[in-house]
Amino acid sequence: MAEHTILVVEDDSTVRELLKYRLGKHYDVFTATNGEEALDEIEETIPDLIISDIMMPKMDGFALQSSLQTDKNTRIIPFIFLTARADEEARQQGQRKGVDDYITKPFDMETLLSRVERLLERVEMFQTELNAELGQDFSNRLLPDRVPEVDGYALDFHSEARDQGGGDLFDWTQTDEGTYFLTIGDVMGKGLRAKFYAFSFLSYVRGTLHTLLEESTSPAALMAQLNDMLLNDDVLEDTFATFLLMHWDPARHTLTYANAGHCRPILVGPNGTDIPEHSDLILGLEEDVDFSEITLELAPNTALMAYTDGLTEQHTQAGDMLGEEGIRECAREAYGRDNPVEVLLERTLARSASDQFEDDLLVVWLERMGP
Amino acid sequence: MSFDVETTASETVIIHVGEALDFRNADEFKSTFQERVEEGARQFILDFSDTEVLDSTGLGSIFSLYRAVSPDDGKVAFADVSEPVQVVVQLTRTYKVFRQFPSVEAAREAFSG
Repeated sequence: MAEHTILVVEDDSTVRELLKYRLGKHYDVFTATNGEEALDEIEETIPDLIISDIMMPKMDGFALQSSLQTDKNTRIIPFIFLTARADEEARQQGQRKGVDDYITKPFDMETLLSRVERLLERVEMFQTELNAELGQDFSNRLLPDRVPEVDGYALDFHSEARDQGGGDLFDWTQTDEGTYFLTIGDVMGKGLRAKFYAFSFLSYVRGTLHTLLEESTSPAALMAQLNDMLLNDDVLEDTFATFLLMHWDPARHTLTYANAGHCRPILVGPNGTDIPEHSDLILGLEEDVDFSEITLELAPNTALMAYTDGLTEQHTQAGDMLGEEGIRECAREAYGRDNPVEVLLERTLARSASDQFEDDLLVVWLERMGP
Repeated sequence: MSFDVETTASETVIIHVGEALDFRNADEFKSTFQERVEEGARQFILDFSDTEVLDSTGLGSIFSLYRAVSPDDGKVAFADVSEPVQVVVQLTRTYKVFRQFPSVEAAREAFSG
């Protein structure tokens, strides 16, 4: 955990040095002698908390505070005013401007330290709660509430997130012809940002699918469009995603898919596992990439399993990553069981060094049942 | 931690990636190459000889570098790719974009030739 940084703004050098010395034992402290200097410092580093005098030459504490209010990056920094002006008028002026705390000189150092600690704790708690709430909200929108129910088929998925999770996504759409489009992806990055991009991206995919399906049901054609979109959209600049787009036709028992850098799906059947050799470049990297697609015929009692790299990158007891080979073994063991996804995860954990998953993961299992 | 960077006579920038490029230092990696790109550099060699960890955020920052130089026919080469990095490169099919060389020296020769 990074140390909190505190900016002390005070023109009296004795008070400034004292504060720097005492706070410096617990926090990363930098100082300024007036509001103008403070703004310069904040330009370089945004502190977690500001302790400021009110009466200072050049720019006083109130002016500094209102100047920080105009910028969204500095507006939320908690502020403690430290001043000799104990009169009620200044206090009220401060409160009107959203001051977080107000301590009068001469002050008791222990009181100040405990207020600083409390304020930082409170801010952190709010931030964590807010992130968790937003993260959960995004996560729910990146996964379907239910899966298609098709006679003769079983479709199941499992998703789980570490901490705030990342950008794993899974979605499906039914076409007018009774076929389905399955979208599985992993948007690069961690935390809320990845989730936000994944969500924006998935919204685009959902929107585009409907329009595109009127012309073609080619996953490769759609993949090329998604790639262009990622490259040309300003908001999604520097966003990269691995993607799997599948067109599933239950009546013909076919699966046609394009793969942009995603983990290669595994076919699991009575004779073991197979990886249809196929994968193209990740999305968002290069323009005018050609994507190819492959069509598989699903025999009875055969499943296609798609997953994200949280599974391949899980560390085994030997210290290696599980990898494609490890997953093939787990898939073989899960095959034929009542809850293959559950068994697969159980078998993966049985091989793991840890008793839980280290990263986000998503598994989708689509099986054609026997006669 | 900052990145060890050198520039060769042929205006090629070599970045020694070090032990890890991941969510912890990806931003720093970005500002390192951005500075060089602004100065006009378009050829980069990334030395992965000591790299144990390359996660998706780290890889994303390398993609950003590629995006920054590719419109001007810039190049990003991978040199002395360690096993963990090779796994990531294979998985994402990025070997189609980043040329790999057995050593920094070999990459440098290819760039200056």
